[in-house]
Amino acid sequence: MSEIKQYIQTLLAQKNISVAKNRESIFEEFTKEEANIFAVNQIKDNQKMMLDKWVLKNRVSDIIDQQLIIPNATVGKPYEVYIDYSKAGMDDLAYTSFDDLGQFGLEYNEQLGTIKGIPTKSGEFKISMKFRVNGENEDSELNNKKVSLIINADPKSLWKNIPSDLDKDEIWKNVNYWKPDIDYDFKPLGDKHIVVASKRGRSHANVGSFRDDDFSFKHLEETGWSIVCVADGAGSASLSRLGSKLACEFVISYFEENFNSDIVTELDSLIKNRDQSQDDVKQKNLDLFIYNNLGKAAFFVHKGLQDYANKLERPLKDLHSTLIFALFKKYDFGYAILSFGVGDCPIGLVNKDLTEIQLMNWLDVGEFGGGTRFITMPEIFSSNKFPTRFGFKVVEDFSYLMLMTDGIYDPKFVVEANLEKIECWSAFLEDLHGDNESNIKVELIAKNENLPIQLSEWMDFWSSGNHDDRTLAIVF
Amino acid sequence: MRRLPVYFLLDTSGSMHGEPIQALNNALTTMINTLRTDAQALDSLWVSIITFDREIKELVPLTELPSFQLPEITCPQSGPTHTGKALEVLESKFNIEVKKGSATQKGDWKPLLFLFTDGKPSDLQLYRQMIPKIKALNFGAIVCCAAGNLADDSLLKELTNDVVHLDSADNTTLRQFFKWVSETIEQGNKSQGTGEKVALPPPPSEITVVI
Repeated sequence: MSEIKQYIQTLLAQKNISVAKNRESIFEEFTKEEANIFAVNQIKDNQKMMLDKWVLKNRVSDIIDQQLIIPNATVGKPYEVYIDYSKAGMDDLAYTSFDDLGQFGLEYNEQLGTIKGIPTKSGEFKISMKFRVNGENEDSELNNKKVSLIINADPKSLWKNIPSDLDKDEIWKNVNYWKPDIDYDFKPLGDKHIVVASKRGRSHANVGSFRDDDFSFKHLEETGWSIVCVADGAGSASLSRLGSKLACEFVISYFEENFNSDIVTELDSLIKNRDQSQDDVKQKNLDLFIYNNLGKAAFFVHKGLQDYANKLERPLKDLHSTLIFALFKKYDFGYAILSFGVGDCPIGLVNKDLTEIQLMNWLDVGEFGGGTRFITMPEIFSSNKFPTRFGFKVVEDFSYLMLMTDGIYDPKFVVEANLEKIECWSAFLEDLHGDNESNIKVELIAKNENLPIQLSEWMDFWSSGNHDDRTLAIVF
Repeated sequence: MRRLPVYFLLDTSGSMHGEPIQALNNALTTMINTLRTDAQALDSLWVSIITFDREIKELVPLTELPSFQLPEITCPQSGPTHTGKALEVLESKFNIEVKKGSATQKGDWKPLLFLFTDGKPSDLQLYRQMIPKIKALNFGAIVCCAAGNLADDSLLKELTNDVVHLDSADNTTLRQFFKWVSETIEQGNKSQGTGEKVALPPPPSEITVVI
């Protein structure tokens, strides 16, 4: 039976019209008439066309509704992504274009299916994807799908720099224990020099809050000892800027008052004798002396902060601050270096020919970032680890003695283990000497009058996620 | 660099169907957009979204904010609230995703947990079993938000001291709540003593702090 005949039969059946037996031959003739064949074929063609059109339309709607993920971009950061249409279930796209990408600094490559460029504008945008699916005519109107595109702002551009004393007078500064957002110094210290810079971190600058770091140093002319202190007030404590400042001041005043000639004479003799012999007892005496005297200094700071907090009628934890300090003195056989530390700020001693690093203290690093211990915590003094907080070293000479807060150590050394690797310190020194993104060179020589400015400028280095206060003291 | 991991546990049980889930979507979108313009958040925030109804779904695994895309959150028309099971999933994700500090690895900031619910746990026994385990993870803050009159504040209180109550889960209230959440997140990355908790900023008037 011909297709035409079958079609007409079905049509008649749908209309409940039956062909009588005696009319079958006439019906046969009817199905062979050219005009009828033509009509049936036309109907079938039209039906097919309509079906195809509906299938296509349905498919286009599917694509418009389906999620197509374009990875987020960031202003200023080179961007190149491949849009995986097959992963999104859009294998049948015959043509695609994204015409409005130009305004964001991006460009679409249809052949490769990539979006590429350097984004110029941040925000969440709905962009148009024009497309055609397989089966659509090449000259048919393009379909339009809205796709979201998120362009993050350049993080650098989001940081504000609001002075902590904006529109404030002297009275306000006094009442609020204000300190300058940037502080630096450069002086001879004993027969060495010290350069130190302390800068407010971006996280503070962004909201106009205070620098929490602090430092102090002093050469005690009478005894020949020099002291360097660095302290980092806890970000979560309301008066930590004061805590760190007081801690540094108290260390200096302790040694000024208590490192008198009797004590220093004893210390000198212990150090000299130690140098001449490897006697265990003498070593123990020296350890005990350091433990006693530096321990007293640390406790003096703790007590001083406690008294101060009482005076202010504030809890001691409002003054939370880490504290590291080092003392050094030149003898005819070399230098003796003593140290104490609580918190997460390292003291590093780099030898004369830059081949060895001695980390003078261990760091209080909690299982989570930011968790550390402070000089304001009474439990550090009763802990059995307290005696291990002291360091002692005799060296013929050294190139650098460095004290830094975690604002420097986090970005530059990342983890504690790196502080004991000379290659990490070499890289750090090269960084200081100009091997950095901004090509800022810190020339660590005594006659460099610009040294503190150089160090301060170097400290502006960008490090994603590291926006704490930065303090670095270098004795050289 | 240090990451601040933030986990959102969101109730998508049947009672959230309709306006509440729409309001939740809107409020979350607004919050993410706000955080995206915060320098500190853009540099350190990592977000995870876990939803719970009968099923627990990790909608977005812990993802850095610059790459984060918020999917549409949907919920079934009816069904139980498996809060306990959600905490169980959270614990396992936490153990995989959160980095602890060591001599060779930079630790994350203390993670934060925000749990949003408009009902009470259908799996109460598991919920109670999970409480000490979640507490032991040492979050910087656990904030539970109970929305509407069916939410049980006292059960949430067993998980954390920081429970807030919203009278309803409408657009305005949820937006206020999540604005406060983003302020809390901005507090999350500061140095603190070991064992100390993140201090929460004062909540807006729409939010009742449950004492």
